[in-house]
Amino acid sequence: MWWKVLLFLVMSAMIVASFVTEIPQQQIGPASRIFYYHIPQAWISVLAFAMAMVYSILYLIKRSPEMDDRAVNAAGLGLLFCFLATVTGSIFARVTWGSFWNWDPRETSIFLLLLIYGAYFALRGAIADENRRATLSAVYAVFAFLTVPFLVFVLPRVLNSLHPSDSIIDKNLEFTMGPVVRVIFFTSLTVFTVLYFWLFNLAGRIRRLERSVVEEL
Amino acid sequence: MDGNYIALVVALIVWIGIFYFVMKLDNKVRKLEKKVKS
Repeated sequence: MWWKVLLFLVMSAMIVASFVTEIPQQQIGPASRIFYYHIPQAWISVLAFAMAMVYSILYLIKRSPEMDDRAVNAAGLGLLFCFLATVTGSIFARVTWGSFWNWDPRETSIFLLLLIYGAYFALRGAIADENRRATLSAVYAVFAFLTVPFLVFVLPRVLNSLHPSDSIIDKNLEFTMGPVVRVIFFTSLTVFTVLYFWLFNLAGRIRRLERSVVEEL
Repeated sequence: MDGNYIALVVALIVWIGIFYFVMKLDNKVRKLEKKVKS
């Protein structure tokens, strides 16, 4: 219980600090404050998709329904945070580039990620047999994750993009953020990660309850 | 009122709403887990 209270207080303090302290990137202006939310959301989506792949591999090895449940929960939360990163990115694009959507390489790659993981759930919805559904979607999740490093880290850096690429570190791998910005940013990264694991745990407990109720019936 | 402070208030309200919803859901799940165990 104590860590939930701590999470609430630290997230609230981070939100206040993100709006009242110095602007993270002076050349972009106040809109750059959104990076305290946008980058952690994008990080969580990559983490969640990686976890979906790991649990999918574990399902293929162990054939345990719980591993399938965990893979689904991770993919679902990954999709949710990916969507939130897209929304916050669009707001940033509207303020700085003048349009919500420009088909910039970064926007196109996140859109492809949404489609790829949306298709994961479409695939699951199309198969009635539980074992077959779990097996096929596990194989799909493994291949889906192979696209993530390419779409998130490689493609937007290879092509010309308006998206800032030196918000955290520059080409010499040195921090570009000031000390205050750095503290708020890493606090945000931490609390978003804790929130994700809480939601992941909660989703797992709900699935277990569903299974135990179905077994009783 | 400065737009920055409006954004701050909106962000805080959204966070409090999310936290309240997840806490309530967590408590409900805990109660159901106890029921299923017993």
